Amino acid sequence: MVSNSEKYTEKKTKRSMSQEKRNSIAGYLFVSPFFILFAIFGLFPMLFSFYLAFFKWNGLGEMTFNGINNFTIIFNDPIFWKSIYNTVVIGLLGTVPQLIVAFLLAYALNAQALRFKNTFRVAIFMPYVTSIVAVAILFSIIFNNQSFGLVNSILGVFGVDPIVFTQSEWGAKIAIATMIFWRWVGYNTIIYLAGMQSISSDLYEAAKIDGATLSQQLRYITLPMLKPFILFTVFMGTIGSLQIFTEPLIFFGGNLREEGITVVAYLYRDAFENNFFGTASATAIVLFGIIMIFSVLNLIITNRLGRGKARKA
Amino acid sequence: MKKLWKTSILAGSAMAILAGCSSDESGSGSGSGGGSETIDMWVFGTTGYEELAEKYMEENPDVKINVQSTEMGDHHNNLFTALSAGQGAPDIAMIEVGEIERYREAQDRFANLYDLGAEDVQGDYLEWVWNVGQSADGEFMFGLPTDIGPTAMYYRKDVVEEAGYPTDPAELAASLDTWEAYSQFAKDVAEKTGKPVVDNAELIFNAKRDQADEHYFNRDNELIVEDNAAIREAYDYTVSLIEEGAVGNMPLWTPEWGQGMAEGSYATLLGPAWMQGVVKGNAPDSDQWMITTMPEGAGNWGGSYLTISEESDQQEEAYAFIEWLVSPETQLESFKDMGLFPSTPATYEQDEFVNYTDDYFGGINTAAVFAEAADQVKDVYKGRNYLLVQGEIMTALNNVLSSGGDPDQEWDDAMERIKQRLERE
Repeated sequence: MVSNSEKYTEKKTKRSMSQEKRNSIAGYLFVSPFFILFAIFGLFPMLFSFYLAFFKWNGLGEMTFNGINNFTIIFNDPIFWKSIYNTVVIGLLGTVPQLIVAFLLAYALNAQALRFKNTFRVAIFMPYVTSIVAVAILFSIIFNNQSFGLVNSILGVFGVDPIVFTQSEWGAKIAIATMIFWRWVGYNTIIYLAGMQSISSDLYEAAKIDGATLSQQLRYITLPMLKPFILFTVFMGTIGSLQIFTEPLIFFGGNLREEGITVVAYLYRDAFENNFFGTASATAIVLFGIIMIFSVLNLIITNRLGRGKARKA
Repeated sequence: MKKLWKTSILAGSAMAILAGCSSDESGSGSGSGGGSETIDMWVFGTTGYEELAEKYMEENPDVKINVQSTEMGDHHNNLFTALSAGQGAPDIAMIEVGEIERYREAQDRFANLYDLGAEDVQGDYLEWVWNVGQSADGEFMFGLPTDIGPTAMYYRKDVVEEAGYPTDPAELAASLDTWEAYSQFAKDVAEKTGKPVVDNAELIFNAKRDQADEHYFNRDNELIVEDNAAIREAYDYTVSLIEEGAVGNMPLWTPEWGQGMAEGSYATLLGPAWMQGVVKGNAPDSDQWMITTMPEGAGNWGGSYLTISEESDQQEEAYAFIEWLVSPETQLESFKDMGLFPSTPATYEQDEFVNYTDDYFGGINTAAVFAEAADQVKDVYKGRNYLLVQGEIMTALNNVLSSGGDPDQEWDDAMERIKQRLERE
């Protein structure tokens, strides 16, 4: 077998190219469709929006150079700052409770005593494969402004006046955060579950023998061992919540109001409703910067935690 | 080496397939260059233009027309992308009246229909409809008008009766001939029935706004809304009704809005001709809805234009088709089959139109009501950022309506936001 292939290589090398080189060309050709498509639909638009951020353009007419004016305009717009504030608040409201609940759900799903495990796993993961638009429409009905809306009827039972969700500062944010919570909680549960299953049961047995209670096991075994998984979900959650878009768009039914407009919705409105592509691109670049900062912060924290663990070990 | 060839052929064909995917899309627009003589046409909604195109092809066997219908939002997005790219637009594209504004400065993407003979048919159309289809200076014709949406007053007989007003369309119109009378009517409705006079703030504001000679921008595209007394008056009028408790909080197209239509939760709906279908759809079993003229005039909501792209190489054939498609005779067909309200006054004189009755609306000739309204619509220039201004004013009115905002403060804030956003242009 070995000699055969050696002979084969020998024969081939007499030609213009080595087998190695040919293999690598073939490899590149095979992966090229992705890179070609990425260059056209991913890379080019990204670079072009950097360019557009310094121009005025309505999509049809001439582009005119505008210097840093686009940035000045958005930085002077209170709604822009409001959109950043909204994004962070909705992100926190949607993500923090979500990760805590996902952890508890995963712990419950991992319990030995639980029956119908697979059914529960599928059921919990289901929202993740639902279309965001469908989720947003459904939750818009649940958070209906009228007194007969589901949430308002429940509040009515407790004697609370109906909330006009689309026009209330916290109502809008809570409604949007709930959609995000519902859709992503299953995804994170499955990740935590996978993490918990990778923890050796020896550790728990040893702890039990040493007389550790359930909460001690959770605190000293499960949580530390899950650290990489938790970091991953926090990382993804941060980036995801900075890009919240579909939920507010559908929740407000077109007229994006400042109570719930997010950064991406803000730039969408500029670009695709009003054709102000310059300021929309400038906003995209500011958002890019914010995501970079958060990612770097996440990385630093991850590395520090990683090092801490190494020292302990 | 043979192997290498094989792999490159493979990769090459893969790329060709990919390229094929993308050229397919643009091919649907400019496919005519490839020798086939098909005229591509993009439409949205239910127009019945597919059937009419068939009929036209029977009469003109040498013409081939391919009508492609898409959902309204996607249709306009696809069209904007194609026109922005300068490639891939169809020969004929239908553009909604609200959307046509953003193309005002993009004359280089369209064929000037005046060069194709549009002047000869100008007299067939209502003046205000025609003027929306042309540039502000009147030199460039973007599209021929299809249908229109003149507005009238839909009302619930039961609510009107309870409020002590006549339910006969002519009598009600006579007693509500001014906005002042309508204001009194609103008070009476609120007092005697506990119901709002209108479904939401939007349609009442629009009704008043549409009776103004100028709206948000002048013909030089300068923002005039802040100093336009007529618009401020429409705003104040709406606020006064809100303060009377006469404005409902049922935003358009929401479930509660449709339900209100069926249950008669409000007295009047100031809507366009095509709203007849919406009312019938939402309240199929009701026999309470009637239609009459609204106080002091009418407005227009909706309607479309048929444009021909600059890149089309069959502009003359395409023009001949659309001229036929929206001629008074064909518009009568569209009216009969699809309920599209004609933009050609000559159609209003036809027997089928004059003798039209609708049993759902008490057997009255609803077409005649809207024809009268169509004649009263003001010729107004809207401008490309019209919807931006409209959206901010709606935000202000909704704040007054549901969040207890101070009307003057909300107006000032809206003006501030409008100016802030228009800086981007």
